[in-house]
Amino acid sequence: MKNKILLLIFLTLSLGAKDNNSVYNTNCIPCHEHLPYSLQKIYMLYLKTFSGEQTFKASLKAFLKEPLEETSVMPDEWIENFSVKERTTLSDKELDEAINSYWELYDVRNKLH
Amino acid sequence: MSVSKSRDTNLLRSSEKSSLRRFLILYFILVVIILSLWGIFYFQSKEKLMRSTQQTILSNYAHEQIQKLRELHQEFPKNSTYPRSQDFRSAIYDIERLKIFSTLDDKDIDFTKRFYRKNGIIRLMTYLDDYYLGAKYLFIEIDEDTNWYKSVIIDILTLGTIFLIIFAIFGLFFVKIFLDPMKNSIRLLDDFIKDTTHELNTPISAILANVEMMNLDIMSDRNKKKIARINVAAKTVSHLYHDLTYLTLNHNRESKNEWVDLKTLFEDRVEYFAILASSKKVTFELDLNYSTIFIDSVKITRVIDNLISNAIKYNKRNGAIEITLRKDYFIVKDSGIGIESEKVNEIFERYTRFNTSEGGFGIGLNIVKSIIDEYSLKISVSSVLREGTAIRVDFLKGTVDEK
Repeated sequence: MKNKILLLIFLTLSLGAKDNNSVYNTNCIPCHEHLPYSLQKIYMLYLKTFSGEQTFKASLKAFLKEPLEETSVMPDEWIENFSVKERTTLSDKELDEAINSYWELYDVRNKLH
Repeated sequence: MSVSKSRDTNLLRSSEKSSLRRFLILYFILVVIILSLWGIFYFQSKEKLMRSTQQTILSNYAHEQIQKLRELHQEFPKNSTYPRSQDFRSAIYDIERLKIFSTLDDKDIDFTKRFYRKNGIIRLMTYLDDYYLGAKYLFIEIDEDTNWYKSVIIDILTLGTIFLIIFAIFGLFFVKIFLDPMKNSIRLLDDFIKDTTHELNTPISAILANVEMMNLDIMSDRNKKKIARINVAAKTVSHLYHDLTYLTLNHNRESKNEWVDLKTLFEDRVEYFAILASSKKVTFELDLNYSTIFIDSVKITRVIDNLISNAIKYNKRNGAIEITLRKDYFIVKDSGIGIESEKVNEIFERYTRFNTSEGGFGIGLNIVKSIIDEYSLKISVSSVLREGTAIRVDFLKGTVDEK
């Protein structure tokens, strides 16, 4: 019985730790939380431009791997002030994981009522 | 006025009536086809107009909804309530055709049509230029208004009936135009006969009176034969004269009905035609019971004369004529040429003759039929080709003396 309780506590902690240490949390939030444009706003910009989930994710991934002014959805003022971000150092797998987390976090379907 | 009308109608032969009937049927079918086509075009144009109006209304709703989606996109996630309206239902789908949100009743979506009707609803699909909330497709849906359909059907039925009446009036006008030449030709013949009839009376009466007065006892057999031939010829012309007079002068006179002893009348008429029959060596076989009928004596005489005259005319030499009289019917049967079964119905038509080698105008049986119809009697013809014809006249109950 004692062993089972210990196992449950361990699993809960390890899962929580995994969530907090997700690629998205560790690689995206730290930079963006200091910027005037929130990740929510950027999500809405991407959504307005690319519409569907697959298109959204594919476009974002392509941009993160090869950031260009021409492919950026950010306003011109933003580009002038902050320029285009640097190319990501994350692997494809990590990138997919981070983008999936981002999509699920702000997905409008679950929030509209 | 009514007499004139009835006479005009009687002037038409069945073949002419048949042509007229065919024309009217064809005209009616043509009018119905034209009106049906007009109804279809009218319905289609009204439907097109209705669809165009509905499409405009739905486009306005779509424009209104896009504005609200734009506002919601900017306010999201502070405001996450999907914009709804009492006037319409809507749905948004992303570029991958996955549903984002929907208030539609029917969830089955057709992405191939921009505007369509389905199960009592009308739906419009609009593409968004900016994908607010990720929406590429916006669907606006309203319930279909069926009142216009009922009002259009009522319009079509009302106008269709009015046009049908107008066309019917035109049809009657055309019929009158078509009938006039037909009637005129028959009237011309009638007038010709009427005029010549007047000129026949005096000489025939003179011939017959003088033949009657001749003393045959002092004549040689040769001369007797000649006088008999003159008598036959004069009686034939006299019979024709009576038919023509009846047809042109007496037809519309008022009937003077009285009880007529048919047995005596038959015996009298057989005696009158005896000399005519003997010229063809035709013999009479009489089987007459006592019978009286309440009828105009002139008219029943014309019926009997014509039946006997025809029985002689169309009989073979050495033939026989059987006349049977019972209380409520009589039959005149000859042993003559007979009539083909398909032509039996035509024998009562005026100017119809079945044997051009025989004289006459073909008016005898037409007179018989007109008198039979006037007194609502029943006439039936049974004929076998080359064996003979039997004509039976049944009297109506009430016209016969029941005593």
